[in-house]
Amino acid sequence: MSPVHFIAIPLFAAFLIPLVGKVSKNLVKLIPGIVFLYLSYVAITLFPIGIHKPIVEIIAGFKAPFGISLYYGPLAAFLTTMITLIGFVIWLYSYKFIIREPIEKYYMLFMMLITGSTGIVLTGDVFNLFVFLEITAIAAYSLTAFLRDKDGAEAAFKYLLIGSFSSTFVLLAIVLLYANVHTLNMADIATKISSVPLTTRIFILILFLMGLGIESEMFPLNGWAPDAYSQAPSPVGAVFGGIVVKASIYALMRLIYLMFEFQSVMHFLVIMGVITMLIAEMSAMRQQQIKRMLAFSSIGQMGLVIIAFGVGTEPSVRAALFQMFNHALIKSLLFFAAGYLVFHSGSKKISALDGLGHDKPITSFFFAFGALAIIGLPPFSGFWSKLYVLLSVANSGLFAAVALILFSSVVEAIYYLRVVSRLYFNTEVATDVRRTPVSGLVAMGILTLVILFVGFYPNLVLHWMTPAANELLNKAAYIKAGLFH
Amino acid sequence: MIYFITSVVLILTGMYAVLVKKNLIKIVIGLSIIDSGVHLLMIAIGYVKNATAPIFSKPGLTADKMVDPVPQALVLTSIVIGLAVTAVALSLVIRLYDHHKTLDINKIRKLKW
Amino acid sequence: MRKVIAILLLAVVGYYILGTLLNLPFGQKATGVGKYYLDSTIKETGTVNTVTSIVVSYRGFDTLGEVTVLFLAATGLGAILFDKKGKKRSLQNASLIVKTSSKMIYPLTVLLGAYVFVHGHLTPGGGFQGGAIIATGTLLMFMAYRSFETNHTALTIIESLAGLTFVSIGISGLIWGYSFLQNILPLGTPNELLSGGIIPLIYIAVGFKVGAELTTVLDTLLKTIKG
Repeated sequence: MSPVHFIAIPLFAAFLIPLVGKVSKNLVKLIPGIVFLYLSYVAITLFPIGIHKPIVEIIAGFKAPFGISLYYGPLAAFLTTMITLIGFVIWLYSYKFIIREPIEKYYMLFMMLITGSTGIVLTGDVFNLFVFLEITAIAAYSLTAFLRDKDGAEAAFKYLLIGSFSSTFVLLAIVLLYANVHTLNMADIATKISSVPLTTRIFILILFLMGLGIESEMFPLNGWAPDAYSQAPSPVGAVFGGIVVKASIYALMRLIYLMFEFQSVMHFLVIMGVITMLIAEMSAMRQQQIKRMLAFSSIGQMGLVIIAFGVGTEPSVRAALFQMFNHALIKSLLFFAAGYLVFHSGSKKISALDGLGHDKPITSFFFAFGALAIIGLPPFSGFWSKLYVLLSVANSGLFAAVALILFSSVVEAIYYLRVVSRLYFNTEVATDVRRTPVSGLVAMGILTLVILFVGFYPNLVLHWMTPAANELLNKAAYIKAGLFH
Repeated sequence: MIYFITSVVLILTGMYAVLVKKNLIKIVIGLSIIDSGVHLLMIAIGYVKNATAPIFSKPGLTADKMVDPVPQALVLTSIVIGLAVTAVALSLVIRLYDHHKTLDINKIRKLKW
Repeated sequence: MRKVIAILLLAVVGYYILGTLLNLPFGQKATGVGKYYLDSTIKETGTVNTVTSIVVSYRGFDTLGEVTVLFLAATGLGAILFDKKGKKRSLQNASLIVKTSSKMIYPLTVLLGAYVFVHGHLTPGGGFQGGAIIATGTLLMFMAYRSFETNHTALTIIESLAGLTFVSIGISGLIWGYSFLQNILPLGTPNELLSGGIIPLIYIAVGFKVGAELTTVLDTLLKTIKG
C-alpha cells in the first residue's frame, strides 16, 4: 500500500471511462464511486502510519531531489483522507443530481478535479505542484460551463482568464526559483533558499501569493469565485468550496512556511485575511441568489482560515486546519441542500424559497442544520473551530482581529437566518411534486451525522490535528524526511 | 541577455492584449503570447555559451558542452498545458458566440470590468 | 484611460521581472540537478536524449499529469461543445491541386509522426511532438475535404487504451519493482532503437494518445454549423 494509489487509481479509472461508456452509461456512473470507496480504504489504512512518521514515496526509482517524490506526512494524511471522504459523498449526491448529457464526461472531469487536488496536497516537488494545479484548473473551467447556458460560459471564461494569469505567475515563480537554486524538490529548495538574494526571494513570494491567492480566494483576487460557484452544477460548487480551495490554500501555506518565513509576510496574511473576510461577508449580505450567497460566505470563511494561518502559532495553525475541515463538511452540506432547494423552487433567487420548509421538510432541515453549524452555534462543529480560532488570535494579542471576526460572525448569522426564516416562517406554501432522490438525502445525512459527531467530540479530531500543525511549523523535520529518507 | 528582455517584452505584450483588447479571440491570442514569453524565458535560463543540445548522439560529445536539459523538459510540459488551456478557451469563445452572436466583451454583460 | 492604467501596471510588473532576471548569471554551465541528469542519463536510463530521459523517466510523473491535462482538455471541449443533434464543418471543398497533394502528403505526415515518436529517446522529438505532427496531417485532410470524417469510436478506443497502457506500465513498476513508473525492462545498448527500458514504450503510447486527442479536438472545434 502506498500513497501513489491516490493518483494512479483515479487516472486509470478516468482513462477507462470512455471504454466503459461505449458499453453502458450506467456503469460509468458507478466507477467514481468504486474508486473513491477504494481510496477511502487506502486512506484509512495509511492514516495511522502517516500520522506518526511521514511516508516519502519515490516515483520512478530516483531519489530526491533528482526524481519526483510524494510526501505523505500528518498534514497530507489528514487532508487526503478529508478529500477522499468528501469526494465519495459528493459522488453519491451527483448520482441522481446530474442528469444532463454527456454524463461520462461529467464523471471524468469530476474525478480529475478531486484527483488534482489530492495531487496538490501530496506532491513534494514544485513543478509537479504546478501540473496538478493545472489539472484541477482545466477540469474546473470545463465543469463551470457544463450546463452550457449563457451565464455558465461567461463565468467559465472569466474564471479561465483569471486562472491563466494565476498559472502564469506560478510558472514564473517556479522558473525564477529554478534559475536561482537549480533544483525543484521543495525540501531541497528550502535548504538552498537562504543563498538567494532577498529582493529575488520577495519577488518570487509575491508571484506565488498572486498565483495561488487567486485559487485560494484571497482578496482582491477572488472575482471569479461567486460566478463560478453559482453557475456550476451544485455538486461542483461543493467540490470547489470543500476541496479545491482547501488544496490551494494548503499549497500556499506550505510554500510560505517552508521558504519565505518572514515576520512581515505573516502580518500581511493576517491583514489580507481580515479584509477578505469583511468584504466577503458584507457582499454576502446583499446577494439575491442563494448560491452566490454561499460563494461569498465561503470566501469569508477562507479569510478566517488565512487569519489563523497568518498568526502562525501552533494552536492557531491547528485551529485553521480544524476550521478548514469543518468548513469543507458544512459548505458541502449547504451546497447539496441549496442544489435541491433551487431545483424544487425552479429559481436561483432567495425570494423563491418562501415556505419550502413545509413542502420539502427534509431538504430544508438539512439546509437549516448547515446554516446553524456554519454560523458557529454550539453544539455544532463550527462552534468549536471558530472558538479555537478566536482564542488563538486573542492569545497573540491581535484584539482588533478578534473584534472583526466577531463582527463578521454576526453578519454571517444575519444573512443565514434570513434564508432559514424564509424557509419556515412564510405562510405562502409552494408545492412541487418532484421528490428529492434518496441518494441525495443519504449524502446529506452522512455529512450531518459527521458534523454532529465532530460537534460532540471535537477533541477526537483535534488530537489528530496536532501533528499536522507541527509538521507545517517544523521546517527542519520536513527537510530531513524529504531529502534523507 | 537579449533573450531575457525579449521574453519579458513578450509576456508584457500578451498581458496588455488580455487587459485592453475587446475581442475575445484577441484575448485568447494574448494568453498564448504570455505562454510563449514564459517558455522563451525558461529556455534562456537553461542556455549555456557555445554548447549544444543535450543528446549524446555521437561519440565525443561531453556533458560539459551541453545546455541545461531541465528547463527544456519543463517547457515541453508547459507547452502542452498552454495548448490545453487555449483549446478550452476557444471552445468557451464558441459557446459565447453562439449565445450572444458577438465577440465584443462590451456587449457581453458579465465580462466587463 | 484603461490603456494608461494597463501600461502603468505592466511597466511595474516588467520592471520587477527584469530586475530579478538581470541578477542572474547568463550562459553559465549547468549546475544542480541539471548537471546530475547530464552525467548520469546513459548510466541510469540508457537513453542518449537527456531531455527525453528527464521527461519520461526522472520526471515521468509530470508527464503522466501532462497527458491527463490534454485528456481533460479534450474531454472538457467535448462537454462544452456537446450538442445532441450533431454538427457539421462549414469548409468548402478545396481545389483539385490541394486535394490531390493533401492525399499524397497525409500518409507521409503520419509516417513522419510515427518516426518522431518511436525515436524519441534517440533524436530530438518524442510522443507529444509526433502526436502533434500526426494531428497536423489530419488537419490538412479536414481542410481539403469537406467530407473527410474520422472514426470517433476508433479514436476514443485508441485514446483510452494508450492512457491505460501508460498507467499500467507505471503500476507494473510498483508491482515488480520498487516504485511507481520505475523501469522494469533491460536498458539495452545506448543509441540503439531498443534501448532505454520503458521509455520508448511510454513514448509510443503517448504518441498514439496525443495524435488521437488532438485530432478529436480539431474535429470538435471545426464543427460549428448546426446540422
